[in-house]
Amino acid sequence: MGFLYSLRLTRWGIAGFSSLAFTLTLLQSVGFYQVVGHTPAERAAFGRSMAQLAAQFTVLIAAPIRPDTVGGYVQWRAYSFFAIVFAIWALVSAYGAARGDEERGLVEQVLATGTARTDALVVRILGFAAGCIVAVMAAALGVAAGVAGAHESIGIDSLAGASVNLLGLALSCYALTLLVCQFAPSRYATAASAIVMLGLFLLNSLSRQLDQLSGWRWLSPFRYYDLSQPLAPGGAFDARGVEVLFGGAVVMTVAAAVAFSYRDVGSPLVRVSVAAHPDVREPDGNPVWRVPVLRGIYDRRTGLAVWTIGIALLGVLMVILTKSIVEPLLGLAQLRPYFNLFITGGIYPSFLGFIWFGFAQLLIAGYAIAQVARWSAEDTDGRLEGVLSNPISRRGVLIERATVLTIGALVIAAVSGVAVGIESHAQSIDLDLGRLTAASLLLVPMAMFFAAIGAMLASLLPRATVGLLGGFAFVSYFIVQVAPIFHWPSWTLDLSAFHLYGQPLSSGVDITGLVIMLVVVAVGFAASALIMERRDVGA
Amino acid sequence: MAVAALSTSRLTKDYGAGHGLFDLDLVIHPQQVFGYLGPNGAGKTTTIRCVMGMIRPTSGSAHVFGIDCMRDSVEVKKRVGYLPGDIPQFGGMRGQEIVAYFGGMRGGVDAKRVSGLCDRFDLDLGRRFREYSSGNKQKLGIVLAFMHAPDLFILDEPTGGLDPLNQQEFYRLLREERDRGATVLLSSHVLSEVEHICDQVGIIRAGRLVKVADLAELHRIRFHRVELEFAPGSDIPETAIRHAAGVTDFHFEDRIVTCTVHGSFAPLLHALRGAEVTNLVSREPSLEEMFLEYYQERSGLPLLP
Repeated sequence: MGFLYSLRLTRWGIAGFSSLAFTLTLLQSVGFYQVVGHTPAERAAFGRSMAQLAAQFTVLIAAPIRPDTVGGYVQWRAYSFFAIVFAIWALVSAYGAARGDEERGLVEQVLATGTARTDALVVRILGFAAGCIVAVMAAALGVAAGVAGAHESIGIDSLAGASVNLLGLALSCYALTLLVCQFAPSRYATAASAIVMLGLFLLNSLSRQLDQLSGWRWLSPFRYYDLSQPLAPGGAFDARGVEVLFGGAVVMTVAAAVAFSYRDVGSPLVRVSVAAHPDVREPDGNPVWRVPVLRGIYDRRTGLAVWTIGIALLGVLMVILTKSIVEPLLGLAQLRPYFNLFITGGIYPSFLGFIWFGFAQLLIAGYAIAQVARWSAEDTDGRLEGVLSNPISRRGVLIERATVLTIGALVIAAVSGVAVGIESHAQSIDLDLGRLTAASLLLVPMAMFFAAIGAMLASLLPRATVGLLGGFAFVSYFIVQVAPIFHWPSWTLDLSAFHLYGQPLSSGVDITGLVIMLVVVAVGFAASALIMERRDVGA
Repeated sequence: MAVAALSTSRLTKDYGAGHGLFDLDLVIHPQQVFGYLGPNGAGKTTTIRCVMGMIRPTSGSAHVFGIDCMRDSVEVKKRVGYLPGDIPQFGGMRGQEIVAYFGGMRGGVDAKRVSGLCDRFDLDLGRRFREYSSGNKQKLGIVLAFMHAPDLFILDEPTGGLDPLNQQEFYRLLREERDRGATVLLSSHVLSEVEHICDQVGIIRAGRLVKVADLAELHRIRFHRVELEFAPGSDIPETAIRHAAGVTDFHFEDRIVTCTVHGSFAPLLHALRGAEVTNLVSREPSLEEMFLEYYQERSGLPLLP
């Protein structure tokens, strides 16, 4: 497999993550000058506020160095976040290289051409490395552009240090996933890699709070990434830490290549023999398969459970953190203008409404997009054709899909709403029950809003649907979060899907927004029904 | 007159650049096993997907038992068992769940019939789809197509991936279904398969149906490879043989003549009058050879009506 082909396989990742990296660093550096103040005293006060804010989150992100400077601020706000983003990219990409291509039969084809296994693996990691270099350069360019816009400058060596550090972490995570994937069966490889990665991330982040873990954090690549904060004045570039990241990547790649050379294609290195069981000759007797909609929910039960529990736990966590975050911040005069942007009633309901339900909208949009991605996949993998070979109409398929998604969103909204309500009560945060119910239930039309647009896109451009819909969700979230801070004109907010949701927890339901959402849902599904009736399946 | 099990009228699906299916007129009568033959890309799958309502024809129509395949596709599919050319990917679902899922959509599926089919093909429904071999995936597709005992089977290259024993079992199953009263449309590019089970054959090429014939008729248009050996010192009617009607591929070497005879032997026998033939071997070609000959159009001779 050629290097260029390897690059081609990661082209969407390169484009997406480079754009994200550039946008984020540009906005953080431009944003810094908007909020930092003009005098040295204002800057110093801002730095103290940020340090106080960061102290609440050290369990996740390392404390910043000199957040009163653009370098320190961007290092903290952007590059700390990049550790997670680039690790996810590496995980997804390495799984694709190690096992995903095997599932599609691509690896067999490549090996049949006479390519050595080691070569095939090395070419894939080189392709990812090249893509990563583009992305870290884009991030550096974003910082440089943002700083230049304020007629200041930042050292090129600092930018290079931050870029190399990030590249080292990404390659280290990529190699780690490659290695883990050699030992796990295909269907568990992603989960196994994600668990190992999350474990190492938490080992490092929790070790900041728990001394018992500090003796083990040398195992985590995130630890070595944290050692360098070269953008901040006074922040070091830890050459040894970076060497460990690159050295670890090399060692793990070699180990993965050795394991790959010893295992069967399509199987893990250590294969557990399947226990003998009597042959099954009859269909599953579970009656849910006979009930439309229920069978769809049952088929997706594991995914729905994960989404429901995950979102509910995040909601509970947000409620638990609310008081400990808000109370210290209320004392900071510099942050009052920021709070005034969204506080319209009680401070805690407003905070929860803005922070939690703002995030919950993004999550429910993610759920809807995951379902739409499945619809697109069913079209290309022949499953839709299989379904339509039964006496069921295309419209029936669409209605069943939409109903399954609505019920799924309702379950997620209800469980997370109840969880947030119970935890709020436990934390003595006084929430209006009616408004909490409304805020939770409004997540359902929000999911339907994305699903309707997704259904239409899936009928027109099935391959591009997930990218377009994901981009729309991300930009929508971004606009809602950033527009008030940068005083963007009000029409920009109208471009965001999440603006339609309003602030139901603090201000009640925005009827206009709800009506617009429902109209889009109706029009979107009606249009997709019309298109689906006329189009060729699998085309 | 009984309504046709499947009929198409000027059915066309034009993909542009000469690709697709053009003006297909086809009638398959009830209880007939119809073999639909053609090389890859000839338009077999396009025909089948049009009939199943998966793709919309550019023009023309298709009916199953008199029901319009486009307008009433749901009614059509109640009477059809469909085996697609590519089995859908069901990921981690178990075989028993897939059968229950599709059986639930269709309704009225007899579990005993499912277990009978699984027994015949030795298919374990307890395993996950992704763990199935390609042969087992094909067997699962057969179970899904046959489990509701439909009136019409539409099978797109159904024996791909099956081993010879299971192929024979599949042919037996098809014959049983025909005897039960079912009709079968079976696409294939394996002529021996068609030879085994079909009553009638349609040959499609470059999107156009070029011939419909029953097996007997197909055999009538067949040709023979002939080898003639003449006695030493005898006269050989070389020119008469070469110009006899239906004789092609003439070759003469060392008192042995080889040639291909299309249609009747009479012109060749007439040319051999008075010659001293010591040995004559006529080899009946397989359908595969006939098919290749027909496609390559080497002879330039028209097919018999």
